[in-house]
Parts: sequence; C-alpha cells; structure tokens
Amino acid sequence: MITAETMTEIGSLPSYAPLMLLLPLIGFAVTAAVGRRLGKLAHLVPLAAIVATWGMAMSLAIPALTGGLGEAGASLPLFTWIASGDLTFGLGLHIDALTGALLLVVTTVGALVHLYSVGYMSHDDSYWRFFAYLNLFMFSMLLLVLADNLLVVFAAWELVGLSSYLLIGFWYTKSAPGLAAKKAFITNRVGDVGFALGLMGLVVVFGSLDIHTVLAGIEAGALTGPAATVIALLIFCGAVGKSAQFPLHVWLPDAMEGPTPVSALIHAATMVNAGVYLVARMSPLFASSHEAMLVVAAIGIFTAIFAASIAFTQTDIKRVLAFSTLSQLGYMFAALGVGAWIPAIFHLITHGFFKGLLFLGSGSVIHAVDGEQEMTKMGGLWRKIPITYATMLIGTVAIAGLPPLAGFWSKDEILGEAFKFGFTWVWLVGMVVAGMTAFYMFRLMGLTFWGKSRVHDESHVHESPWTMTVPLIILAVPSIAIGAALGFPFADGVLVHGLEPVFHPASALLEHEHEAWNLFGIDGLLMLASVTVASVGTVIGVRLFRSDNSELLGRVTRRLQPLYDGSRGRWYFDDLNDLIFVRFGRKVANSLWWFDRRVVDGTVNGVATLTSSGGRGLRQIQTGRVQNYALGIAFGLVAIAAAYLVIAG
Amino acid sequence: MSDMPILSLIIFAPLLGALGIALLPSSRPSLIRFAALGISLITFALSLGMLLGIRASGEEFAFSEQLAWIPSFGITYHLGVDGLSGALVVLTTLLSWICILASFGPIQTRVKEYFISFLVLETGMLGVFLALDLFLFYIFWEVVLVPMYLIIGIWGGADRIYATIKFVLYTLVGSLLMLVAILATAFSHQAATGSWAGAFDLIVLRGTVVDPTLQILGFAAFALAFAIKVPMFPFHTWLPDAHVQAPTAGSVILAGVLLKLGGYGFIRFAIPLFPDGAHLLAPLMIVLSVIAIIYGALVAIVQTDLKKLIAYSSVSHMGFVTLGIFTFNQQGVDGAILQMLNHGLITSGLFLLVGIGYERTHDREIAKMGGWASRTPVYAALFGFFLFASVGLPGLSGFAGEFLVLLGAFIANPMVAGASTFVMILAAVYLLYMYQRVFTGPLSPFLKGLGSHLTDVTPTEIMTLAPLAAMIVVFGVMPSILTSSFAQSVQMFLMSAISTVAR
Repeated sequence: MITAETMTEIGSLPSYAPLMLLLPLIGFAVTAAVGRRLGKLAHLVPLAAIVATWGMAMSLAIPALTGGLGEAGASLPLFTWIASGDLTFGLGLHIDALTGALLLVVTTVGALVHLYSVGYMSHDDSYWRFFAYLNLFMFSMLLLVLADNLLVVFAAWELVGLSSYLLIGFWYTKSAPGLAAKKAFITNRVGDVGFALGLMGLVVVFGSLDIHTVLAGIEAGALTGPAATVIALLIFCGAVGKSAQFPLHVWLPDAMEGPTPVSALIHAATMVNAGVYLVARMSPLFASSHEAMLVVAAIGIFTAIFAASIAFTQTDIKRVLAFSTLSQLGYMFAALGVGAWIPAIFHLITHGFFKGLLFLGSGSVIHAVDGEQEMTKMGGLWRKIPITYATMLIGTVAIAGLPPLAGFWSKDEILGEAFKFGFTWVWLVGMVVAGMTAFYMFRLMGLTFWGKSRVHDESHVHESPWTMTVPLIILAVPSIAIGAALGFPFADGVLVHGLEPVFHPASALLEHEHEAWNLFGIDGLLMLASVTVASVGTVIGVRLFRSDNSELLGRVTRRLQPLYDGSRGRWYFDDLNDLIFVRFGRKVANSLWWFDRRVVDGTVNGVATLTSSGGRGLRQIQTGRVQNYALGIAFGLVAIAAAYLVIAG
Repeated sequence: MSDMPILSLIIFAPLLGALGIALLPSSRPSLIRFAALGISLITFALSLGMLLGIRASGEEFAFSEQLAWIPSFGITYHLGVDGLSGALVVLTTLLSWICILASFGPIQTRVKEYFISFLVLETGMLGVFLALDLFLFYIFWEVVLVPMYLIIGIWGGADRIYATIKFVLYTLVGSLLMLVAILATAFSHQAATGSWAGAFDLIVLRGTVVDPTLQILGFAAFALAFAIKVPMFPFHTWLPDAHVQAPTAGSVILAGVLLKLGGYGFIRFAIPLFPDGAHLLAPLMIVLSVIAIIYGALVAIVQTDLKKLIAYSSVSHMGFVTLGIFTFNQQGVDGAILQMLNHGLITSGLFLLVGIGYERTHDREIAKMGGWASRTPVYAALFGFFLFASVGLPGLSGFAGEFLVLLGAFIANPMVAGASTFVMILAAVYLLYMYQRVFTGPLSPFLKGLGSHLTDVTPTEIMTLAPLAAMIVVFGVMPSILTSSFAQSVQMFLMSAISTVAR
C-alpha cells in the first residue's frame, strides 16, 4: 500500500545539521579533558554548546512541524558505520515532524537544565564532571532522535543508558547512587535484549535497518502475521525498559538518587520519552499487529494506574514525581496502543515541559530546605519561596488536566480518541487515573507549600538564585500555553497538521477514520467528563491537604491499612525482583561455580591424578636414556600411522 | 614490494633481539628493559609496514615466502599473510610492546630471563599466525608453550606451579592429537597422490581431504587443540588458574593473543582442511559456544577475585568467536574476527588495569575494595572506560563484533541468537556489580589503610593503556576499517568452508 505520502521526495538537510551532534560531543570531550582546571567556569563550554544546538534545532524543528521540510522530512547521510558483506548500517540524520517534536522538547528542556545546573550544582566539587556528563547525554539523546538507521538508534539508546548511569551515580562516594545507577543500567538491558533481537529479525526480513527501507517494506505488506507480532513485541521490550513501564519500571524511582536537574532532564522530560518515540517511529510495524497494539495499550494503561496508586502515599517529593512520570508515560503508551499516535506525541511534548518544570521546582524546594526531600519535613513554604511555589502550581494545574493549561489538551485527546476507537476500558481506566493524578499532585503541593511548617530550621529557607528561577519561569510559559498553541483548534491544530503525514501509513493500516470534531456531540461530552474527574481529584486533594488534616488522614489510612501499606511499599515489586533475580540468580550462579570447580575442573584434576599414579607404575621403563625414548617415539608414530591405515582402510 | 623476506623478518626480529639481550650483562636491568622495548617497537613498526602492503595487494596472500625445508616429506618453510593474519600479527606486536612496557615496574627479579622469554614468546605467536605449512605451524604452536610456561612458573603468584603445569599439560594433550591428525592428513595425501610434495602445505591440502573418516577424526583432533586454547566449555578451567597466577603481562598476552590462536586455528586450518567434519560437528560447537557465553558470564558474577572475574568474562566473550565461526555465514565470521581483535584490545586493557591496581594494593579480593574512585579518579575512569567497552557499549569496539555474531547466529538459527543475547544482561551484571563494589560507595577500611600508597595511574601506565583506548574508540566508530581489511579472507574462508559433499 504505497500511498502518495510515502512517495514524497525526501529533502536534504542543511550541512550544519551534524553540528547538533558535534557541539555537545565536543563540549563533553573538552570538559572531560580540562574541565577540572576550569573550576567554576566549567559550565561555559557545555552551556554554549547546548545553546547553539538549541538554536539550530529550533531552526529545523519549527519548519519540520509546520511542513517547511516537506511531508517526508529531510535527510543527510553521513558515513557507513558497520558493514558486513552486503549488509551495511549507515549513520545518517533525518528530521521530520516527529523528530521535530522531540527536538523541541529535548533541546529546550536540555538548555534550561544546563542553565539551572549552574546554580543548583554550584556547591559541588565535581561541578565540571556534571556538565561533561550532561553534554554527553545531550549528544546521545540527539543522536537517538536524529538517526535514520535503527542500529544507530539502538547505539544511541545504549549511550543514553550510559549517560543515565553516570548521572544517577554522580555522587559515587555514597552507596545508594552507585546501586541505583547499576540497577537502572541492568534493568534497561533486560529490555534491550528484546530490542536487539527485534532488530535482528528486521534485518532478516528486510536486509536493512534503514528506517525508510524498513517502514516502506512494512507499508507494502512485507511483514505481517505472527512475525510482525513477535518483532513488534521484541522492539517494545526496549521501549518498556527505557520508558520504565511495568514490569521494568523499578529502576526509575531509584534513579532519583541522581542530582535533581538530572531527574528533570533525563528521567522526566527527555530520555524516558525514547520508548514512546521508538514505538511512534515504528508505528506501521505496530499497526501491522493487532496483538502487539493490544499489549502496548494494556501495559501503558496498567502502568498509568499502577504508578498513580503508588504516588498516592510516597512522602519523598522526587519519588512522587517519579511515579507520576511512570503514570504519564503509561498514558502515552496507552495512546500509542489504541492508535492515537498524534495525541501520544502531543502528551510527550506537554508532559516534557510541565514535568521538567515540576522536577526543577522540586529541586528548588530541596535547595531551599538544605537537601531535605521528605515532604513530612516541609509544609508552609509558599511564602518563603514564592517563585518556586507559583511556577510549581502552574505545573500542577497543567498535569492535573485542568483547562486551559497544557496537560488538559493532550490528556483529553488521548482519552477522547481511546473512547472513539472503541477502547472503552482504556478510556475508563484513563479517567480514573486523571482523577488520581489531580489528587496526588495537589497532595504534593499541600504537603510542601501549604499548612503549617514542619521545616527543621526555617531561618535557612531561601529562594533560589536567578539561574534556577529563570528556567522555572521560562518552563511555566509552555506549561500554560503549549497545549492551546499546538492543539487548537481541536483536531485541526498545528501538531495534527505536522504529524499527520508521519502517522498516515500506520493509521491507514489500522483503518482509522477521522471524523469531524464536534464540540456539541461526543467530543464535547468526553471533554466534559475528563474535566469533571480532574476537578473532583483537585477538589479532594486541595481540601485534604490545604491545611493540617492529619487526624482525618490517619483515620482513612487505618481503614485502608493493607492498601496503604501496599502503595507505600510500591506493591512489593522490588522485593519480588530481589527474590527472583538477585537471590535466586545468585544461587544459580553459585551452583554453576560449584559445578565448575568440582565437576569440570574436578574431572580434569582427576584425570591428571589418575595419569600420574599410572605414571608411577610405568616409571620402570623410564631409563633416562634418550635412545630408548627415541625408540619409543618411533614405535608410537608407527603404531599411530598403522592404526590410521586400519581405520581408514 | 621488494623481495625482502618481511614475514621472516617480523617473526625472527624478536628472537634475534632475545639473543642480543642474552649477551647483555644481567647487572644492567634498565638497559635490558629498554632493549626489549626497542626490539618490540621495531617489530611493531615492521608489522605496520606489512599491513600497508596487504591493503595494496589483490592476492589472497599479499606476502608469502616458501623455502624447501624437509624435502623428503614435502615439508616447507611456507609463510603467508592475508588480511586476517595481518590484523592478528599487528595485534600481537602491539600487545607485545605494551606488555614489555607494563613489565618495567612489576618485574624486578631475573629481568634478563624474563624479557628473553617474552621475546621468544612473541616469535612463537607470530609464527603461528604466519605459517602456512602444517608442520611449521605445529612447531610454532609448541614453541609458544615454553616461554609461557616459564613466565607463569617463574614470575607468577603463589600457586604458579600448579597453574603452569596445568596450562602446559592441557595444551599438550590437545596439540599432540593435532600432530597425529597432521601426520594422518599428510599420509593420506601421499597415499592419494603418490608423492610427498605438498603433503603438509595448507594451500595444497585445502579441499583435497575426501576421506570421510579423516574428515571427522581430523577435524575432531584439530578442534580439540583449538577448543582448549580458545578455551571452549568444558575445556576452560585451566584459564582462570593461569590468569590468576600469571604476572600482569602474562595475563595480558594470554588473553590478548594466546586465546586467539585457537580461533585463528579454526578459521585458517581446521575448517578449510576438514569442512565436512566441521559441518558435522558444527551443532555441537554451537551448543558449546552458547553454553560458554552464558555459563562464563554467570560464573563471573560470583567471582571474588578480580582477575578470575575477567578470566571468566573471557570464556564468555570467546564463546562469541566460536559461535560466529560456526554459523558459516558472512556476518557470523566477520563478527567472530572482530570479536577476536576487540577482545584482544579490551580484555588486555582490563588485565593491565587489574595489574595496576595490584601494584598498589597487592590484593585482588573484591570484598576488600570499595570507594576506590574517590582516591584515584583517573584510574577509576579508565577502568570504567574499558569496562563499558567490555559490556559491549555501541560506539566502543566491542559492540560491532558481538552484534554481527548474534546477527549471524540469528540468520542461522534464531533460537541460538535468542539464548546468547541474554549475555547482554549478564555482562552488565557481572561488570557493573564488580565496579560498584570496587569503585563506588565509601572508602573501604582496607583501601583506607593503604594511605598514600594508593596512588593514581602513572604516565608510563597511561602510555600502556592509551593506544588500546584510542583503538577501542576508533574501531568502535569505524569498525568497517577492520571488516574491509579482512573481507577477502572471510570470502576465502566461506568458500573453503563449503562442505565437499555439497560441492
């Protein structure tokens, strides 16, 4: 089914495009080499590199999103990476509207996080190292979204994993960050096994991993049936790992051991979106398998409600946001799974901005209260840190899905399309999650900013320096406005126009019909419903946590003690993993080690002992005379040759 | 190029150097050290010159030399180099000078004997890679054993005698059976053609062994010798012992070059000589390779000694080599050769690093370490670099080989690839678990007790690691430099590996 769209000519990118990769890479190399000697100026090179990259990215992302690069986007081949016989895997860049959407979030939040870190990390001895790692991450993430070959995407996928490992474990002299970094990398690798095998499957089918070749082949119907399902699900394993979906979600909450700017950049706004990007990029593959789509939708919506239920009871401010991230990513996968491709990417964009804002805001709070992350030791902070409070409130309203802020637009589209495409169950669970989200976010706001102060020493509480508050203020703008800017008029906004050609082949495979959007019909009703649940969640959250309600909360908690314990204990998944993989795995490895020493090596030593005791018996013939040995060797060779002649006959 | 016998020059330059060093007085250790380094650098330079020549040539063997040696049995002094052996020769000459430089500090007793042994070892290894006559190959193969026996047995750790005897006897068992197979092949050639001419010559013998029994038994005998050397499961238990007892440079050369002799032997000798036997036994070889990959990684997880951990990781990594070879397809074999070269660079680096740490701590017990990075950040960073290369991080050289082997395996049989790919997780587990325990967290009491002895890497140590690190990056970004250099060798191998029955 080769449509007019897929035949569209691919344009060529301007020759400066590779600089978007090179500048952060140079920033990393320079800072890693001499950053230590630059002291408190170590941020200059990396910051300049990212600002320049942001400029270039915008100059390409905006045309890409508004159709300026043509419907098929634009490419720039660079060089052959791996070649083996007829198979070659090349490195080239490609930008279309989907890449444009990612560039928008990645470079904007990336640049602001760099600026923010100038303030946040200013007291750290390894200031330079932090900026080196940040630039390495930016390089890897940009490579991931720009690459036109799936093997390069995989490579970038692993490199973002490395940057994430380095940044989670940034404070390596403490124990917990090292453990969390290791857990993140290994958990991701579990998903990557599937990803790698899926890629091998694609090579066997298409003889290439060039994204255009593969997608054109799929659109032409070259991969269907069980093979499509298996390959799609294998690749989805990678997405589940990187985007921390159930059951590989366990690494993300622990990743909060990293410095807070890292949590904002990598573990909320950018890297964790990679899985969503991958599934969106491979949308025709997923659309070729009904079963694969169903799995994506189910995992997504389950993660959404599962993580939201944990966010209810966490008291560490960053942990709440981490589970909220899992939950929101779950929305995106649910959207992809029902074929609501554009809403998924829409939510990726809005979430990137408001979650980046919320994380940086939480960092500002932590900075204000001397590194305390427990909300039980906060409260009443709104007067002391008004800019942080105001911007975080904007972020909270945005994520809660209240109109007209950003989250409302994208969440509403996801839920609306899920309903209209017949996935009532996804819609229903999604509605519940929307209410839960509003509730736990206002709980976070209440515990942190409202009520009486529980801060140990209030005299130290201070608003953050401008390098930190300016990024908050800047991020508040898209958190308010980007939903309407990209999503209005409904079903006919900028984003829909831009992304429609990218997802047309997949939607055609799903045979989705787009009907006119009708405010006074089903669409208006769905919107009313989602605003209602968000409002209910908000009202309950605000009422419970506006002031000190500990008696009432205590009563509710006691009523629901098992549920409360389960939620606080993250439904015991970490314990289960510990039992199965760590304890049982170590038992297996230890018994193999026993086997290796006792059985494998034991046999070798046994044979040796047998031989040497046999040798003692034969010592009589050891005369010490070389002539005798020579005779023996000669006889031996003759005997062997004779034996051969007999056998070979 | 001219008629200069460049191959002989490369092989015998270290031996001549060893003879020269024998004449130097033992009382001048630093003169001996620099003489050895100079000789190994000259050999390295010669091998690079040879490499340039190979790239320009279109022949199967860009340089070859053949002289009559034992004419009554058709044994000749026949050398030849193609892209495959050329790359391994350069790996050998590179690691030799790195090892010699890395031995400057650690080796303080019997300095003269040590460097003589090392240079003789280099000659033996180079001879194995360049010989095209089976008898000559066998001679070099055995020559390698003697200096290695001495290096472990004299300059090794506390249990060195057990380890070195185990190493020698184990290897001898395999190679003696190989000798029998060589003789049988020659006899059969003589019987078939009525002449001894070419009876030991690989180029003559390729594709002529038709006797099905000899195909199977001959392959089995060669395969046993090479499987012990690689080492393949279940013939691997000599390796951890040898590594743990060997001095640092011994471990480096063992992992970097000696294990490759096995992989090379399969590609150059065992399979082209006995393709039918190879095809018949290929399923077994593949199963053993997959076991080695997974089993080696699992056993590595629970190791308590740093060197043993890396030794078991070698078992796992070398499993990729044999797996790739026995897929008999382009990707698998390309990947196997890449894996040999990259394992040579990466694991050598890891052994050098373990040695550097041992120089300071005189210990390799993982449980005693912890928080090392806070004292020696450069050392920790370098360790991290080689470690991620070993994990197979794309962009560093380990990835391309492993991916191509897995791809080759997938093409041959998706289930095999499916099982082997799990090593991606296990490799991350055993290496990162080790790194976390050794380098991160608070400083351990043991390391704290070392006080100012716990210094960071010296410039000399960086000189031994920098060339490896640079090549790991270059071949990680552009592995096609390597694959194109041995593309022709792989073509020839794939043609000669077609079973004679199929032909």
